Amino acid sequence: MEINVVENVLKLNDEIAQLNRSMLRDAGTACLNLMGSPGSGKTLLLEKTLSALRDEMRIGVITGDLTTTRDATRLAAHCEHVSQINTGKGCHLDANQVRQGMATMPLDELDLLIIENVGNLICPIGFDLGQTVKVGLFSVPEGDDKPAKHPYVVLEAGVLLLNKMDLLPYVPFDMDLFLADIRAIREDVPIMKISAASGDGLDGWFNWVKRLVGSEVGELLET
Amino acid sequence: MHEMSIATALLEQVQALLPEAATLTEVRIDIGSLEHLDSELMRFAWAALVESEPAVKGSALTITRIATRIRCKTCGHAYEPEDAYTMLCPQCGAAHPEVLAGSGIVLKGLTVEQPTQA
Ligand SMILES: Nc1nc2c(ncn2[C@@H]2O[C@H](COP(=O)(O)OP(=O)(O)O)[C@@H](O)[C@H]2O)c(=O)[nH]1
Ligand SMILES: [Mg+2]
Ligand SMILES: [Zn+2]
Ligand SMILES: [Zn+2]
Repeated sequence: MEINVVENVLKLNDEIAQLNRSMLRDAGTACLNLMGSPGSGKTLLLEKTLSALRDEMRIGVITGDLTTTRDATRLAAHCEHVSQINTGKGCHLDANQVRQGMATMPLDELDLLIIENVGNLICPIGFDLGQTVKVGLFSVPEGDDKPAKHPYVVLEAGVLLLNKMDLLPYVPFDMDLFLADIRAIREDVPIMKISAASGDGLDGWFNWVKRLVGSEVGELLET
Repeated sequence: MHEMSIATALLEQVQALLPEAATLTEVRIDIGSLEHLDSELMRFAWAALVESEPAVKGSALTITRIATRIRCKTCGHAYEPEDAYTMLCPQCGAAHPEVLAGSGIVLKGLTVEQPTQA
């Protein structure tokens, strides 16, 4: 006997993501889902972001790693509301884990929730968490070919960051190719060159975050 | 990379749809070509998962890859890009894609065997 169905395999995840999205909307909290390879500088970028914006907005962070609470410890130095999720063998965060992280936070008091996804440019892309916007982080030492090899993140991100610009003189990296590859996938996605270590370019990023938080959250929500 | 977690979600979904006392012989899914999922690894993960569940043991996983289909937000032209890393519109040259098809994983159907009536 044949049974025909048309049902998203990640239906459960998507349903929970929609719940997260409506909780965030009700609380008036914008939400970033930060994705990048291991070591691309996600945690350092967040440390810098938290300390620069602490007087302007209230931020909570959910950080995912396979194991350890090291990132949470680093982030807790700059922020009161940090939740570490250990995924064990899981290569991405799912909506339910984020939901559990959200439950530990006073969402109503937060202007912004940042999710540091598990270091990985592949698996996290397919999992909706309920975020307002996805942020894709590349870094110079990973090489100039990463956007072409990871087109899905380029397609989905609201902004792309290229970190570790301070290392550009020391590693082979064809900037024209990097930019052209992105522009062959998305001509309109903003690209920011930054160095989380030196601080170069971070003002543009902070302004982008401030604009996100200042805008009507509902307007920017992904559906 | 996350074939096992996708296969696990699929198994839960299938078990919820399986009629009482029926056994599963085949599951059909569509995988968008933009998804970073390997068909061979998906089948391998499925085979490993169903091994210990009598109602689904030995069932086949049939995968259809769905081509990426884009609508150009600049000129409206719909096209299938040859590769995911270039979305350039063949009509106007813009890279301003709206993904019409090619993302997501969808359960399309099951084939089951009902026990013969006594
Ligand atoms: N030179 C340089 N190093 C950086 C930069 N950003 C991060 N790092 C270093 O890269 C390593 C990985 O950073 P981390 O924030 O832990 O990356 P994550 O795994 O993506 O969270 C650390 O040693 C950071 O100090 C940068 O802009 N320039
Ligand atoms: Mg980190
Ligand atoms: Zn994975
Ligand atoms: Zn066009």
